[in-house]
Amino acid sequence: MEKSSDTLLYSRIKEKDKDALECLYDRYEKILFSFLYKMTQDRDLAEEALQEVFIKIWRGIGEYDDSKGKFTSWLFRMAQNSAIDLIRKRKVTVPIDEVAEMPSKDSSVEKTAEWQDEKEQIQAAVSQLSTEQQEMIQLFYFKGHTHEKIAEICGLPLGTVKSRIRLALSKLKKSLHGMQERGAIDE
Amino acid sequence: MNNEHCDLLIDYLNGTLSDEETRQFEEHLKTCDECREIADATGQLPYLSEPAVPPAGMKSRILSNVFAEDVATDSSSTSSASSAAAGATAGSKASSSSHAESESSDRKPRDEVEEEKVMQMTQPIRKRVWWTPAIAAVLLVSLLGNAYAFMQLQQEQADPAPAPTQPETAFQSIDLQPSEGFDGDATAAVIEEQDGALNLVVTAEQLAVLEGEQVYQVWLIKGDTPIPAGAFTTNADGEGATYFNIDNNTEEWDTIAITLEPQPGNELPQGEIVLSAGL
Ligand SMILES: [Zn+2]
Repeated sequence: MEKSSDTLLYSRIKEKDKDALECLYDRYEKILFSFLYKMTQDRDLAEEALQEVFIKIWRGIGEYDDSKGKFTSWLFRMAQNSAIDLIRKRKVTVPIDEVAEMPSKDSSVEKTAEWQDEKEQIQAAVSQLSTEQQEMIQLFYFKGHTHEKIAEICGLPLGTVKSRIRLALSKLKKSLHGMQERGAIDE
Repeated sequence: MNNEHCDLLIDYLNGTLSDEETRQFEEHLKTCDECREIADATGQLPYLSEPAVPPAGMKSRILSNVFAEDVATDSSSTSSASSAAAGATAGSKASSSSHAESESSDRKPRDEVEEEKVMQMTQPIRKRVWWTPAIAAVLLVSLLGNAYAFMQLQQEQADPAPAPTQPETAFQSIDLQPSEGFDGDATAAVIEEQDGALNLVVTAEQLAVLEGEQVYQVWLIKGDTPIPAGAFTTNADGEGATYFNIDNNTEEWDTIAITLEPQPGNELPQGEIVLSAGL
């Protein structure tokens, strides 16, 4: 995916260029839908959340600029927030026993995702986290639970939950950076 | 580096901050590498998702709703004005009662019909999302009072007279019957969008829940030749719908059928016929 042209597309969208929006849609439909489906476990909700994302982009709500980090991070965060809104609004409940399941390398042998490179990288980074940290990310990020809910699920104090999530994400960041640096040296 | 703003990172990522707090935190992101890098790393997590096949017709539904929102907030948009004007002209043939049963509570004078259309396009956004364009288009068709002749679905159309009193009767639809051993109800209808595009809309309910990659595939059949005409999956309640553009397929079909296919994208049916109807 051409990262540099995302921001170009986005600036055309701000000028109300419908083709640019469609282009952005085509580029991210699959990953966004897959992500939203993973979060909501419901195809209708995933579609609704996706629609919210593009309505927000088209209306210029929560405008992007590069001070907010990478474009995809911003885009995915909007998607995640839309899904969280729907999950919380509709009280979609997620079975607790699902929580520990983080996709492992071998669970995806049948299918090769379009985002395979990114996937391998993030999988490798996640695999360096402890099981408990992976669980924290699963509950916090994919299930969209509040800290209060996670504290309840895990039987931990609220402050502990917050610091563990931050620690898990911080470690994830370091692993990713480490890999990217090593990747840069390899090239 | 670790100040009180940094403590809000988790709340920011979790979407629990107010708009104002979010704005403040985004200011903090500009100056705090640590928080920004963590936020960016988090933005890699969606790539862990297993690929999921988007529902049929999702793109056209979403884009039409996105742009309809835009029309509603900016009524000076020229493209909408011209198509709405066409709608108003055609609408003069329709009885004003044709859309009186619609859910809109604020009735508008006849000459503001285009504005009303815009309202209806945007109104159902909060509802089940796959219905949105279908409802809008159906209401529009009822507004035009002139459903498009297609698939020999409407024989009595020759007589343009009494305007329908229910939106549903303003367009032609057909019920599909379940094959032996299958449950379910489905309705197929042809509707015309405001830009003149013809769409086959199939809605189904009480279908068996799908497994794995299975999809329900709609076929239009002439003699022995089926062509795929949209596929859909069901929600947990066994409901599903598809919205398929048929502009290039205006042949005289004799059958419409829905099969249960083992995977999406089949050019010819592999699975059994679940529902069908002669046309
Ligand atoms: Zn910070």
